[in-house]
Amino acid sequence: MTRYLLSRAGQAALVLWAAFTASYVLLQLLPGDSILIKFQNPELGLSPQQIAEIRAYYAGASPLADYAHTLLGFLTGSFGYSIDTGTPVVERLAEALPETARLASAAFLLAVLIAVVIAFAASYSSASWLRGALLSVPSLFISVPAFWLGILLIQIFSFRLRLVPVIGGSEVQQLVLPVLTLAVPISAPIAQVLARAIDQVYAQPFVPVVAAKGATRWWILWRHVARNAVLPTLTVAGLTFGELIAGSVVTETVFGRAGIGRLTEQAVNAQDTPVMLAVVVLAAAVFVLVNLLVDVLFPILDPRLKGAAA
Amino acid sequence: MSPSRPLRTVVTLTLVGLLGACGGAGGVAGPASGDNGTPVQGGTLTYLEHQPPTCLYLPAAGFYPNGGILNQITDKLTWQNPETLEIEPWIATKWEINEDATEYTFHLRDGVTFSDGTKLDADAVAANFDVYGLGDDKLKLPVAEFVNNYERSEVLDPLTVRFHFDKPSPGFLQGTSVIGAGLVSKKTISLPYEQQCQLKNIVGSGPFTVRRQVVDKEVDLVARKDYNWAPPSSKHQGRAYLDEIKIIVTPEDNVRVGALTSGQADMVRYVQAYDEQTVKDAGFTIYAEPTRGVNNGLYLRPGNSLIKDVNVRTALRLGTNAKEIVDTLFTPSYPVATSVLSHLAQGYVDLSKELVHDPAKANALLDQAGWARGADGVRVKDGKQLRLGVFVSGPQPLSKQTLELVAQQWTKLGVKLEIRPADAGTQAVDIKDAEKTAIQHGMVGRADQDVIKSHFHSENRDVILSDDEKLDRLLEEESAEPDVTKRNAKVAEIQRYVIEQGYAIPLFEEPQVYGAAPYVRGVAFEAVARPWFYSVWKARQ
Repeated sequence: MTRYLLSRAGQAALVLWAAFTASYVLLQLLPGDSILIKFQNPELGLSPQQIAEIRAYYAGASPLADYAHTLLGFLTGSFGYSIDTGTPVVERLAEALPETARLASAAFLLAVLIAVVIAFAASYSSASWLRGALLSVPSLFISVPAFWLGILLIQIFSFRLRLVPVIGGSEVQQLVLPVLTLAVPISAPIAQVLARAIDQVYAQPFVPVVAAKGATRWWILWRHVARNAVLPTLTVAGLTFGELIAGSVVTETVFGRAGIGRLTEQAVNAQDTPVMLAVVVLAAAVFVLVNLLVDVLFPILDPRLKGAAA
Repeated sequence: MSPSRPLRTVVTLTLVGLLGACGGAGGVAGPASGDNGTPVQGGTLTYLEHQPPTCLYLPAAGFYPNGGILNQITDKLTWQNPETLEIEPWIATKWEINEDATEYTFHLRDGVTFSDGTKLDADAVAANFDVYGLGDDKLKLPVAEFVNNYERSEVLDPLTVRFHFDKPSPGFLQGTSVIGAGLVSKKTISLPYEQQCQLKNIVGSGPFTVRRQVVDKEVDLVARKDYNWAPPSSKHQGRAYLDEIKIIVTPEDNVRVGALTSGQADMVRYVQAYDEQTVKDAGFTIYAEPTRGVNNGLYLRPGNSLIKDVNVRTALRLGTNAKEIVDTLFTPSYPVATSVLSHLAQGYVDLSKELVHDPAKANALLDQAGWARGADGVRVKDGKQLRLGVFVSGPQPLSKQTLELVAQQWTKLGVKLEIRPADAGTQAVDIKDAEKTAIQHGMVGRADQDVIKSHFHSENRDVILSDDEKLDRLLEEESAEPDVTKRNAKVAEIQRYVIEQGYAIPLFEEPQVYGAAPYVRGVAFEAVARPWFYSVWKARQ
């Protein structure tokens, strides 16, 4: 088990380094650089000569030295300064992270809840039309654009019915609508995979045996089928974390939340390279971590995998 | 990732239509009742911004979200009356200017303090303008656009400061009144660029101070109780009426407008043209404030090989129908341009006779210039098609739609306009290359004659990438002309010259459009439309 964990952790570190290097190279290859974008802004009214002077001031040594310097900074937890606002990137992340973490984790939990309800209801219902209707819900959910759903929810619940304010309001009030917006599209793949996995487990020979022993439908679903169906669902749930981050860009913009999504959007607009690099590495780190966690949970949930892992 | 604006508009309109059909109409309050016109002390103003502020180094205050904050927390040496555009006393009680405008002496008001308790004296003022006039290489502070020909400052006594210029600088007096010339404490002005970018380090003497900031989301301002140095011409003196202002960033257009009309916010900036009617219908007020500078328009680069012929550039202007653009996309808040400058700008001259829409003449000019129509309708000369590149301008309202309409109009001339998305990276590289970017879409606001120099001079914004020495010379003469009448005449000459040379296709006079609840009173703006909340109060509802 320890060896398994160590090798998985090593892989994770390798993935992170690769993500850092790839995004560093890509950002270097992009047209324009953040200094040019920043200081060429006509609002500043700087002359080309002044811009050239500033560039000369900022220009580091060779690209390789700059790479090493940036990598070292990341390893020691210093991500440099945002060129757009002049604040240390660490500070920006520290402000944005909790905001996104609250939104993403609440949305994730709600998504799982929605998925479980849909999948269970579909497999429990005996009427085939109801089952079909329930199973088509995820495809509907996944095709709803987040920004549209967000605006729809705001228009109805905030502006028309005046149930929750979008401006001001307590932290919980501010979370309700964005969480719903984000949870709906994310629940779709989880629900789909869970429903299919449940079907597959039902097709296994042990199910009629349990039924013959006198177990109720609910007992079979809960005790036997669901437990077996959880593994593929967990994998998908882990993967949706990536979607959570992507979805939060839109959701945070619609709701005016100052999270990682908004930070990313602005950094991309202003081509604020240090912020972009930090966000990419952070997203990769979260992704790797969640998948590592899923991999570690597997052998715990399924004893058959223990042998393979040891 | 982010859907296009027309799509959003369609979605929003559909939504509003749907909801309108199923619910009661959304009107909130009519005009507030029980208001006898006496200002009410206290209360919080919730103000929704379209974008988060960026770097708050004062000369970068041109960006509206930045100006919207800095205008509340800093004072200026002088006050430009937004009605008359006259320069009036503020922190400077009086001033003397020598004959050729190379020496300005300011006498300061006594007893003014910054919010950190330090004195706003001649020393502090000198320190501010030394940076705005000369920049600071060591601290990486760039010079400010509104100061020309600055040489040095001289502190005569604690309340008297003199500025010296190496050439006449008639625009300087107005320059002391702009938001970018906001006075900050000596501690602030001596910080390096990155530090001066951050709101927490900006210490001014204004009627409000910063209580709290959530970066990218919210700035809370509170009134300074001991504030007692408003411009003498202001009816309101003493502390601000409001206790607090919450500036909340709300990027989504229909969320901003919906929050206003549903009573969640008191005032919003950047009401899109297509939302103006919604706001009015709900009984709210639209403030379309003029920006008094170079008009929203297309600026043509003579350095581009396809349009180096003045006749071709003139043809493009004659083939552009600015009125159709305003009628189709905008509202009466956006007057059709009658010159390069807004009709409220200083030195404006009416050129509407020259700015006509004449597609027949445009086609004739292009024929004469040797551009023949190719098989696909696009004109060709020497094997090259008449295809011109332009970037969507992020800060301009409905820039993409405007350019698309122009492209339609130009198709009739046989000219292909290639519209590129406002991608900061590509733009930063290509926009300084006349061959790649033949045309720039933009405007600039400032209530002084120098605004035209900011826009066109090869050492300022240089939108046309000018290689025109005559234009540069005219602009320099304008900015160094102490006599107002002569200076205005020079500005008129420049406007005519820019049109004659086909450097500009003026479209419309760009306002800043705000929406406010009917109970919000005393709404005021500085000369180029940044809000000034000092005298704002909320009537009892």
